Amino acid sequence: MPGFTPPWRTIKMSLLDRFVLVVDDDSDICWALHHLLGKVGARCIWALDGQSALEAVRLHNPDLVLLDAKLPDMNGLDLGEKIRCVAPGIRILVVSGYFYKDDPVIQAALAQGLICGFVEKPFSHASLIGAMEAVLGQACQRA
Amino acid sequence: MWIWDLQTFAFLAVNDAATECYGYSRKEMLAMTVTQLHLQSDAASLSYLLRMPGSSEPRETWRHRRKDGTVLFVEVVRSAVRVGDVNACLTIAIDASEKKRSEGIYRCLMDAIPSSVLLLDQKLRVVSANRNFLEKSRRIADATIGKRLKEVFPEIILSEMGLEQQIRDVFTSSCPTQGKRLTYRAPGVPIRVYSYSVLPLNWGDKVENVLFLLDDVTERTLLGEEIRLMERHLASIVESASDMVVSTDIQGNILTWNRAAQVITGYPFAEVKGQPFFDSCDPTGAASLRKLFSRGTTGEYSGRIESDVKTKNGGWRPVSWVVSRMIDDNRRTVGFVAVGRDLTEQRKFELQILESQKLAALGVMARGIAHEIRTPLAVASSAAQFLLEDDVSSEFRSECAEKVYRGIHKASSIIENLLRFAHPSPDRNKTAVDILGIVYEAVTFLENQARIQNVEIRTVFPEEPLRVLGVPSLIEQVFINLFLNAMNAMPEGGTICISAEQNGSDVLIRVADTGEGIRPEDQDKIFDPFYTKAPPGKGIGLGLSICYSIVDQHRGAIGVDSQPGKGSTFTMRLPLLQDAGLYAAVADDQDESP
Repeated sequence: MPGFTPPWRTIKMSLLDRFVLVVDDDSDICWALHHLLGKVGARCIWALDGQSALEAVRLHNPDLVLLDAKLPDMNGLDLGEKIRCVAPGIRILVVSGYFYKDDPVIQAALAQGLICGFVEKPFSHASLIGAMEAVLGQACQRA
Repeated sequence: MWIWDLQTFAFLAVNDAATECYGYSRKEMLAMTVTQLHLQSDAASLSYLLRMPGSSEPRETWRHRRKDGTVLFVEVVRSAVRVGDVNACLTIAIDASEKKRSEGIYRCLMDAIPSSVLLLDQKLRVVSANRNFLEKSRRIADATIGKRLKEVFPEIILSEMGLEQQIRDVFTSSCPTQGKRLTYRAPGVPIRVYSYSVLPLNWGDKVENVLFLLDDVTERTLLGEEIRLMERHLASIVESASDMVVSTDIQGNILTWNRAAQVITGYPFAEVKGQPFFDSCDPTGAASLRKLFSRGTTGEYSGRIESDVKTKNGGWRPVSWVVSRMIDDNRRTVGFVAVGRDLTEQRKFELQILESQKLAALGVMARGIAHEIRTPLAVASSAAQFLLEDDVSSEFRSECAEKVYRGIHKASSIIENLLRFAHPSPDRNKTAVDILGIVYEAVTFLENQARIQNVEIRTVFPEEPLRVLGVPSLIEQVFINLFLNAMNAMPEGGTICISAEQNGSDVLIRVADTGEGIRPEDQDKIFDPFYTKAPPGKGIGLGLSICYSIVDQHRGAIGVDSQPGKGSTFTMRLPLLQDAGLYAAVADDQDESP
């Protein structure tokens, strides 16, 4: 694909040294996000289910959580609620194939301030990075 | 016969018949007077007659007393004779007690009849009238007996009804008329309704008399009118009902068939009257109805059944029947009443609900499919984007390529499973399958893994094979899925107990585990596609939905009974292949089908 420029060549370095928790039950997704975050200089850990994600939030207090909507032990949005109880100021970005962009469930969660953004799977690296930057730049408070 | 002295009343001569009849000896009688034969009460009145030489009437009836005190009636004919110088009377007496008795009985009977009775002769004169007639018509016997009919009945009745002609007709034809109605309103009295009959009395070949019987049926008529109104009301309820109301005799032959039944089936009553009720139902429904009917002849009973009913235009309509016994006063079954509700509209409604449920299920499924397929697609997409970069190490390049390949393969296999679920394998692949053999194969397949997981597999099987019509590989897949689920539910080990038995016309197979069980709120979701509680990478939630689909393809059913913490039992019901020979025919048929 001629003219394809990797996103991290053009972006501001706002993701540098940011600490991101990836929550997804698919290890290949974790692999992809881990590599992508590495490329933009963010630090990354991942959790394959809700319980370990909660544990990771308590232990590491990440700046951002990339959250899948369906987990083996709980629903992603329920996990979002729980994460918010543990760390109220945390930014949550849902990355999932379970919903679509104008999905009423997602719109409601955004309106409530439960989540700060949504990216559909499959995603382009540029749009995901853009979304992460936007989320980290904005003040995300519960409505 | 005897001769007696008109002066002294003394017997002058008696014959043997007289002594025999009265019980006296000849010597005793010759010492008696004629008056001594008469009852004391009659003696005075008779003395006048006794003095008369001969009688004015050719025959007279006297009451006499025998020696033993019993009374007898005698008909006498007297004539004056001279015996020497003595004026005497020759009396010939005939014992008329029997005749008198018959007359008495006749009178008694006539008076006992609760109807008004007139005996008429050919000249339409009243020969006798019973007490009921005299009382009802407020007449006395003397003003009635011997009178002509037109003197006894009001002229208007006779002329309006042509009564005299009717009676004459009976005299000539000798045929009785029965149960005719006569309405009469006497001045100032409410209208009365009578029922009358004219019966010929034959003597030899000739009708000498007729009996005219008259009943006042005013009350009965009014009551009948009320009953008729009530009946009409009940009939109109049955007729106006929107449900079919069919009554049959005890054999199930149709007695009545209301308007709804006509409308629903298109058959008018005339075409089904007397026909077996079962004939109007589909064979399965008919068999169940037959069973209900045969059971229904004893004991308390009512039953509900659904069957398709034949319509005149060659179609069928689904009907829900409630059948009840009709019983008589002795609680004996005399027939059946079947009330049938047309389920066509309900079925349409159910279908709509089903459609909307399908849509809802499709919504759930769509999310599941989206999640499951977009995840590997996202991996492939991401890996491909890495590959597009300039500075990719050869090691990372091959890692990315592998992720692309695996992601696409994963998405594709999910789609294949979906297709398998949505498009069942055709019937033609079905053969007679011994369920037990298939269970053994599935058990063998998983034996090693079970041993490693410390799971014991027990089987409780009958000795005879249990055959069903099915696709062996699909049925095996059901068992493997069920066993895997059971083993997953018992990470610490446990027991899987598999039992199979014949249950009526079905094979019943149970797979019970001693695992963690399923929460009640999850039990009705476990067969939904993409519903899973399995840990990551262990399943995508299609196993049980595929089981459900396969069992459904085999015209069976599968369900679960589970107690959290104690274990789950999956019960599968498949139709038993009753006649193994039949399957060959079925298979042949299916081979020929396109």
